[in-house]
Amino acid sequence: MNLREAVIAVSIALMVVLLAYTIGAGGLGPIAPSRLRDLAVSYLANTYNPWNITKSALSLEAVTAIVWDYRGLDTFFETSVLFVSIVGVALVFRGYREKLGLSGRGLSEIVKTSTRVLTPLILIAGISIAIHGHLTPGGGFQGGSFIAVLLVLMSVVFSLDFVIEKGITSSRLLTLRSIGLVGVLTTSVALLVLGLALGTHAYIFQNIAREGSPLSMPSWLLDRPTGGTLIFFNLFEALAVAAGLSLAFIVLSLRESEVEEALGKGEWYE
Amino acid sequence: MSDPVVTLYTIIVLSLVVNIGISLYGVFTRPSLVKKFICLTIFSDTLNSFAIAIGFRRVSDTYPSIAVLSSVPEESSELATFSETAVDPVPQALVLTAIVIGLAVYMFLVGLIVMYYRHYKTTHVRVVEGGSVG
Repeated sequence: MNLREAVIAVSIALMVVLLAYTIGAGGLGPIAPSRLRDLAVSYLANTYNPWNITKSALSLEAVTAIVWDYRGLDTFFETSVLFVSIVGVALVFRGYREKLGLSGRGLSEIVKTSTRVLTPLILIAGISIAIHGHLTPGGGFQGGSFIAVLLVLMSVVFSLDFVIEKGITSSRLLTLRSIGLVGVLTTSVALLVLGLALGTHAYIFQNIAREGSPLSMPSWLLDRPTGGTLIFFNLFEALAVAAGLSLAFIVLSLRESEVEEALGKGEWYE
Repeated sequence: MSDPVVTLYTIIVLSLVVNIGISLYGVFTRPSLVKKFICLTIFSDTLNSFAIAIGFRRVSDTYPSIAVLSSVPEESSELATFSETAVDPVPQALVLTAIVIGLAVYMFLVGLIVMYYRHYKTTHVRVVEGGSVG
């Protein structure tokens, strides 16, 4: 350990001690309080509140209500950041082409068969997590990541060639990703367009009727609450995230020959 | 500090702070870009757990519930009970956003590291600067 590392270690230890002291002395408010902040109480009391409908999101889950209703614009830009990052990865790897005929053996027949059984189950569980985002913990992002695991599993078990031969190519995934983002955008302006057509007031990212705007999305389907726009947002977000992450996995996956080269050489430093 | 829940919870929060220190040390001193990257993800996961921990609350005689109504409320008094017993949903929503944006950044970083390896045939930062390995 030279002087540089010692200085770093001492300063980080100092930071840890000071941060711990600040938190222990109540610098971030009381630890594990029995009373919540007013903002949290307001969100909890209004997330499904048919008696005060102009402040409610009519979603049984408070987190999804915050993410896609109260702070919908934030989340739209967040999903745009994910999109831009995927475009960035596609740009850095711009010479990337799907090459076939490289080490396409995959794992044994037992693993392949059990993966065939698992594939529809994972897909359905992912979709279920996504479209129940306003009822149970979960939502579009969680469901989409769940589905994206499928591609990793398939590319490990069957090989990447199999996945590409099935028609899951990077350009198609980018198209699906864009469809998801366009769907989010369409849902966010749907009530605004309707309001303009009917000649009443409406807001962007409006879900339920607000003050000065009587329009609201249908929030019940048969006997189940749908949370108005939330179910559409979660569905499109799941599509966008699943396609985007799958695209990133395809582009970022290392070929077996490359990994063998790295393993054979070994990294000689810590 | 007499309440055992608060004592235990303080230990958890302080151990998260120590984890922040360890992961930052890794980011600063490990020469391999891959290990730097792993430390960075541990750092961000620690911060996310920290934010979730801030949203925790104590409910007397029972555990706090998650911020989800288990059934459609029939009358408005159920909502009052719900906001008395549920944890803070705001940090969870913020962490959800932070995870997605973190994932976006990490995906790009991994892409850059892969390109770095393909170009220089190593992930060591100082070899490329022309310095010695050490």
